[in-house]
Amino acid sequence: MPARQDSPWYKSAVIYQVHVRAFYDSNGDGIGDFQGLAQKLDYLKDLGVDAIWLMPFFPSPLRDDGYDISDYTSVHPSYGNLEDVKKFLTAAHERQIRVIVEMVLNHTSDQHPWFQESRSSQDNPRRDWYVWSETDNRYKGTRIIFLDAEMSNWAWDPISKSYYWHRFFSHQPDLNYDNPTVREQMWNVMRFWLDLGVDGFRLDAVPYLVEREGTSCENLPETHDIIKDLRKKLDRDYPGRLLLAEANQWPADLRPYFGDGDEFHMAFHFPLMPRMFMALKLEDRKPITEILQQTPEIPASCQWALFLRNHDELTLEMVTDIERDYMYDSYALDKAMRINLGIRRRLAPLLDNDRRRIELMNGMLMSLPGTPIIYYGDEIGMGDNVKLGDRNGVRTPMQWSGGWNGGFSAADPESLYVPLLLNPVYGFQAVNVLSQKRSEHSLLSWMQRIIQVRRSTPVFGTGSIDFLYPANYRVLAYVRELRNETILVVNNLSSSAQAVELDLSKYKGRIPIEMFGKNLFPRIGSSPYLLTLGPYQFFWFRLRRI
Amino acid sequence: MAEESVLNDDFIRQLMNVGEVDLLVGLPTHNNAETVGRVIQAIQAGILKCFPRERTAILNVDGGSKDETPDVVMAASINDLRRTHNAYALRTLPSISTRYAGSPSSETSLHTLLAASDLLRAKACVVISPESINIEPEWVGSLLLPVYRGNVDFVAPVYRRTRFEGMLVSNVVYPMIRALYGQKIREPYPADFGFSGRFGNEFLAQHSWHNESGQFGTELEMVLSAVGGNRRIGQTFLGLKSRSEQHPADLVAAMRQTVGVLLASMEVKFPDWTATHDVTAPPTNGPEYEVTLEPVRVNKKRLKQMFAAGVSELAPVLQSILTPPTLKSLKQIADLDGEAFRYPAELWAKTVYEFAASHHKSVMSRDHIVQALVPLYRGRALTFLVENRTASAEQVEANVEALCHEFERLKPYLVELWNGGK
Amino acid sequence: MREMIMAELSQAMQDMARSGAHLLPRLIVMLIIVFIGWVVAYVVKWILRSILVLVKFDKVSENAGASQLLNQAALPTPTELVSRFVFWVAWLGFILLGVNFLGIGGLQQHISKFFLFLPRLFVALFIVFFGLLLASFLSRAALLAAVNKNLGSPRLLSMAIRIITIIFVFSMVFEELGLAQETMLVAFGIAFGAAMLGFAIAFGLGGRDMARRFLEKRFGHEKGSEKEEEPSPL
Repeated sequence: MPARQDSPWYKSAVIYQVHVRAFYDSNGDGIGDFQGLAQKLDYLKDLGVDAIWLMPFFPSPLRDDGYDISDYTSVHPSYGNLEDVKKFLTAAHERQIRVIVEMVLNHTSDQHPWFQESRSSQDNPRRDWYVWSETDNRYKGTRIIFLDAEMSNWAWDPISKSYYWHRFFSHQPDLNYDNPTVREQMWNVMRFWLDLGVDGFRLDAVPYLVEREGTSCENLPETHDIIKDLRKKLDRDYPGRLLLAEANQWPADLRPYFGDGDEFHMAFHFPLMPRMFMALKLEDRKPITEILQQTPEIPASCQWALFLRNHDELTLEMVTDIERDYMYDSYALDKAMRINLGIRRRLAPLLDNDRRRIELMNGMLMSLPGTPIIYYGDEIGMGDNVKLGDRNGVRTPMQWSGGWNGGFSAADPESLYVPLLLNPVYGFQAVNVLSQKRSEHSLLSWMQRIIQVRRSTPVFGTGSIDFLYPANYRVLAYVRELRNETILVVNNLSSSAQAVELDLSKYKGRIPIEMFGKNLFPRIGSSPYLLTLGPYQFFWFRLRRI
Repeated sequence: MAEESVLNDDFIRQLMNVGEVDLLVGLPTHNNAETVGRVIQAIQAGILKCFPRERTAILNVDGGSKDETPDVVMAASINDLRRTHNAYALRTLPSISTRYAGSPSSETSLHTLLAASDLLRAKACVVISPESINIEPEWVGSLLLPVYRGNVDFVAPVYRRTRFEGMLVSNVVYPMIRALYGQKIREPYPADFGFSGRFGNEFLAQHSWHNESGQFGTELEMVLSAVGGNRRIGQTFLGLKSRSEQHPADLVAAMRQTVGVLLASMEVKFPDWTATHDVTAPPTNGPEYEVTLEPVRVNKKRLKQMFAAGVSELAPVLQSILTPPTLKSLKQIADLDGEAFRYPAELWAKTVYEFAASHHKSVMSRDHIVQALVPLYRGRALTFLVENRTASAEQVEANVEALCHEFERLKPYLVELWNGGK
Repeated sequence: MREMIMAELSQAMQDMARSGAHLLPRLIVMLIIVFIGWVVAYVVKWILRSILVLVKFDKVSENAGASQLLNQAALPTPTELVSRFVFWVAWLGFILLGVNFLGIGGLQQHISKFFLFLPRLFVALFIVFFGLLLASFLSRAALLAAVNKNLGSPRLLSMAIRIITIIFVFSMVFEELGLAQETMLVAFGIAFGAAMLGFAIAFGLGGRDMARRFLEKRFGHEKGSEKEEEPSPL
């Protein structure tokens, strides 16, 4: 697909994150598949997204929802086969939708043949593909990521009678990236999919690729060298394809992953996301502005990936203890909702199913500098099931209609991969695509509309950002500019009406035109511009010079 | 309505930007640039420690400082404008400042604070003196927690003081309030205190605000409003009281602000204080009183001389105020010399009560009545000094207790005088 | 001769009767006026008393210290006093009006002079009343201030203030009544000026030290108090 001449495609895209398994079941086995996904591409086209990010669909024992891969160049039989994938890619490209797939570089499943060989004996040629040790004392002090499940980063292997290193679950042994063979093998894996036609990769858990004694074993220079190498090859052989980093780090520690424009194209801005929720509860913009003040400049060709929720818990790793406690008490009073260092709830339940707050959060998502990623189901306000184990509560089947199995599958409800949501508030009869499509005022219609407005200008994707700091700290206001186009965004983070005076003297003489209704607002003069906003209301103004 | 006049447009705008708060910290200032920085830091530390999640604002009401007091206050604001990340501040903690017209007046500053508290719908407020350089971050919590998390309406402080500080309070105001209203409030004229938004609104509505320059003593009126109105009162131990440079060392002004206010309020609160018979201690957080035994040099001769001079020179005035037996006793003790001099507790209580009754009958200008008490108080202060010169901390307080008992015992005498007997 | 006397007598009687007939109606009218005047004066007194009670005039004068003075002089309360005074003045006015009506020549001029004089009398009494109050108030204030600041001879100062004020008040009264205006003015000026000069010399010579200390305390904050270290009373 041709890249836009003026700026890379990923800078003005809206990305949709989806799990094949959860979207649509075409063959009635209770599990979503690629054929089903292909059938729903028109829905995604209507929604207005430019790219889909698929979660892992590789063969896997599914002990970590597919992030424990046992075969990199195949498809889990429940989801289809390589042919289905090819057809899906073709159909997507026909609709100008790009496809990004997950690539778990850091570790494999312990069921992967490579590990089976590696552990079989100390002399096996693949022995060195993983990180083995006689004792569990190496790399002491390295933090444990899945705190609720693991006590150590080392696991004892009874077969080869030694320890192997795993930053995640113990059934996900880490690959040894000091081994050039491993690096070459993983590049081959990526090439396989690139040749098939995928438009990019989300590289999972990149900070942890390399370990060194006496370090935190995260973000090491050697890791960056590996990435630079991958990127060089990618640009050389597959220009225009995307590398998206999953690195849950402070902004200053994330910056190196962009390199000088020679590492990742995009990275998730993890620290911003919990602060958006925090700002909403505090009714105070301070958490958002402060984290963005601390966010370093990135190379011109790079882009932040912004998101509200995803398949994982709402992570509270990158906040202070006070902030974490506040978030827990505000959003997850029920301890069942907490996992690891986060909250496993979807967007709508987190926001009490409050339509205004959902719109406000999406408004910020779409207007802050970066590429927005929508998690499947959040566009209709799907709920969650906290009683399902791990993070499966936010990965329930997509709700298409109020009928059989919510329109997801023709199978028996008991054979669905996880149960549908049934309660009167979030159940499939209350929340589904079909009923929302029938209304101009549904959340789905509103999401379509806002994506449309966002796409009507390149400013949101590629423009600069300049924060206004009005004295009313409940209002988050900023100006996006690109060449001679200027957009003013004003967000009321408070549950009550607010009056705010903005210093727009720089834009004196311009006429604000509200972007949704296209109505005129009073011309900007020399005195502070007074705006009044309803609870959780936001404005997007195009500041026109006529 | 009266409130409008204390809030100018610019201040209203600042209030609009602060929005609703849970806690409001009032900081009345006048030329305090030297000490206010430290005080604000302690306040902020206290808030971040005890109330990290609450919406709080610091409101500085300035009486026309010539130094940069308001600038220091506003610069201390914790917000996202300063681009220095305070890792312990969950939310914005604004510091706003307003200046009222006229010269420093605690009435106007309190009026402004109460009006702002009403508009900001604060649930709990605390007033901190900008001169409290001995302030600890815990003070904020101690004063606010009983109000905010408990159901107390007014929290008075308890300090650690040198034993001869605050004699006017120990010998007049405290015993009077205790006898009249049945509440053992050790510091009834506080520099630092807390109160609920609800009580603040009531006081704002009920009090008649004059907003003239140089009006002081309104804090005492608030305490009286709390005791007389069946509000829940608490006390909390803070720490060492800082010496105030601005609180008048001039005894006449001090007398006006305390005794003057006290006597005037007795008119309105007649039904309350005549109906009270029991004395209770409000729930107290921490010790009820602490005294340090630092030596203090006081010119006793001068005190005695001023007392004697007062009794003789003011005889015509005192004749109209005191009963003949009391005046005779005073003349007798005025003749006593040196070590023999003693102004007994019972006589003192009678003196004060007779003054109160005369004040009620307006036998002369009420301000003159208050002024006339000053030399007599000096005599009493001398006796207090002598009695407690070598006393331990417990003994000092025991002596004050004894004085209070005299006031309580003689209360019927006051009622009789008040109602016309002489 | 007898007839002449009888004729003169009857003429005289007739004249008298004529005069009487001439005078009698006027007398009757005068009595009517006096009676009406009494009624009016009584009503005015009643209304004024009600108003004064309503505005708590007694309370006010108590505060100003007037009641004390009156009490000591065995006079009735201020309200009563003012009401009665107004009653008498009003009635007197009507009586004079009635007398005026009698048409007795020279009396009329004096009566009108009296009426013209009345307002000034009122004002003068007013000045005296409040002037004495003021003198009492100021002298007491001076006494208290002197005692509390530990100045020497507070009684002397208090008396001086009282005298000065009274002199001042009476000068105003005399001026108001128009009695020997210039004389009073000059006399007052001389007396007042002399007194002031005397006090100035006395204070200046005798109170040098005190003045210095006073000034230092007022304007020399940095030094701190040179007096003994007095613990804060509050």
